[in-house]
Amino acid sequence: MKLLAVTSCPTGIAHTYMAAEALQMAAKEMNVDIKVETHGSIGVENEITDEEIKEAHAVIIAVDTKIDKTKFQGLPIVEGTVQDAIKNSKGLIEKAMRLENDKAQYVEKVSKIKENRKEKKKGPYQHLMTGVSYMIPFVVAGGILIALSFAFGIHAAENEGSLPWALSLIGGGSAFALMIPILSGFIAYSIADRPGLVPGMIGGMLSAEIGAGFLGGLIAGFLAGYTIVLLKKWIKLPKTMEGLMPVLVLPLLSSSIVGLLMIYIVGRPAATINVGLFNWLENLQEGSAIALGLVLGLMMAFDMGGPVNKAAYAFGVSTIAAGQSSSVMAAVMAAGMTPPLGIGIATLMTKNKFTKEEREAGKAALVLGISFITEGAIPFAAADPLRVIPSLMAGSAVTGALTMLFKVKLAVPHGGIFVLPIPNAVEGFLPYVISIAIGALVTALLVAALKKTKME
Amino acid sequence: MNIKELLTKDRISFNLEGLTKEEVIDELIEMLFKDNVIEDKDKFKIAVMKREEEFSTGIGYGIGIPHGKSEFVTEAAIAFGISKNGVDFDSMDGKPAHLIFLIAVPEKLDDIHLKVLSYISRRLMHNEVRQAIMEAENYDDIIKAFEK
Repeated sequence: MKLLAVTSCPTGIAHTYMAAEALQMAAKEMNVDIKVETHGSIGVENEITDEEIKEAHAVIIAVDTKIDKTKFQGLPIVEGTVQDAIKNSKGLIEKAMRLENDKAQYVEKVSKIKENRKEKKKGPYQHLMTGVSYMIPFVVAGGILIALSFAFGIHAAENEGSLPWALSLIGGGSAFALMIPILSGFIAYSIADRPGLVPGMIGGMLSAEIGAGFLGGLIAGFLAGYTIVLLKKWIKLPKTMEGLMPVLVLPLLSSSIVGLLMIYIVGRPAATINVGLFNWLENLQEGSAIALGLVLGLMMAFDMGGPVNKAAYAFGVSTIAAGQSSSVMAAVMAAGMTPPLGIGIATLMTKNKFTKEEREAGKAALVLGISFITEGAIPFAAADPLRVIPSLMAGSAVTGALTMLFKVKLAVPHGGIFVLPIPNAVEGFLPYVISIAIGALVTALLVAALKKTKME
Repeated sequence: MNIKELLTKDRISFNLEGLTKEEVIDELIEMLFKDNVIEDKDKFKIAVMKREEEFSTGIGYGIGIPHGKSEFVTEAAIAFGISKNGVDFDSMDGKPAHLIFLIAVPEKLDDIHLKVLSYISRRLMHNEVRQAIMEAENYDDIIKAFEK
């Protein structure tokens, strides 16, 4: 019978190793095979391998710190403190030996984990996110340029040759026009590599042309990617003509297929849904608008820059794609600013609940917060997810709901407080700032109340 | 790198006078201070006592290993003292501590020092090592006990 163990104490200088030694001594006495991984100041030593996990009967986790237990998933675990291991190492080992080890269940779990990983790598969601992440810089640059053009007056861009006209041409006429083609192109690129780019971008362009918008762009991207995958599988050219595949055969065939499908089949329903969505948003009743703001807020704070956050953000962006301002965008940006802001305020309010490093990071979080970089809250959420993430979500939900309640609208997709002074960028400046402040305070108070006092 | 560099002759007391955990820790800190490895006694003590508050380093078996990581420590060092009567160290087994090791560690420490500290910690878990230290009459006996 083989056992595994992990020991780790807060300073990682002495007790980690005493506990390890105690377990090894006890195991030797009891004639049990044990391997102890130590997490100390030196780092991880005597690391347990996947192979060993597969063969082990159970694992003893004797830690006073947080360690990542995911690699032992499926293995019976005996949990204890470092003191338990030092004082009662035999007891822990006996307990571990008594545990039932259901190998079958474990194998199943492992294959499940592997499946998840695979999906993560190649799932449609990942393709979508690739597209979105390539699109966002276009949106940001374009959106802010449009906002700057608005600064000269809402209709200033109509005066051809003037600066606002030029800004609008760069931002709206060009950057925003590329937005959907880039989205579709890079979704297809993610699926099918380079050959995907041509039908993807062309399909995206068509989608914008026929009014199918974002939704059409998404469909075009996937259509293009999988079309290339199939064409590559089906078409076998003689060796001498293989060079023609990437420059002639694939681009020509795939763009015709995707283009025709977009125009004759996908285009119209997608355009209808697109228009419907906008009408729905336009006529949203107050109650449901607030609920939408709330949900968007929860999404923005849930994974701080991860896929859920990006999905909410992409939705926000899609509502300003035509250059008009939207309440959804306002809720999304505000709710994305509150997590780092709230955390930053919490570090100022309750100094004893954060380490020195965290207090420094708190200041950085404030700056990231006002710049609408939600990721600024990640270090805190990672250190104490169960207390921090719900606090972040609560604050962002409040902010999202408030901006909807106050009917704030935003014309720019990014920029945090730096874009707010631009005239016409935001409708309802004061309520907007208030909404953000209240949400940030909610987060700060919750974090302050939930977090434990630090002793380190 | 070996134990002798961390635990020098000047950092050992065969007869600690302190009657409480705090007095004993003060005595050990004083030794390190005199040996110029600690720049600020009080600041270092705060670090040590904070660690004790989290949970006592009295691990039982008559041993206490208070330790502190602080910017006021110039180099890694160990001070060691024997208390003949033993002091209450809030030990896990409720018994008094006789062998007290104070470990001082600077904020940034290389792995070699950490390896030695972890080695010492491991050795202390063995009954025969503790016995040998308890019966030690001079510096060499103590070093021998660890190096066995």
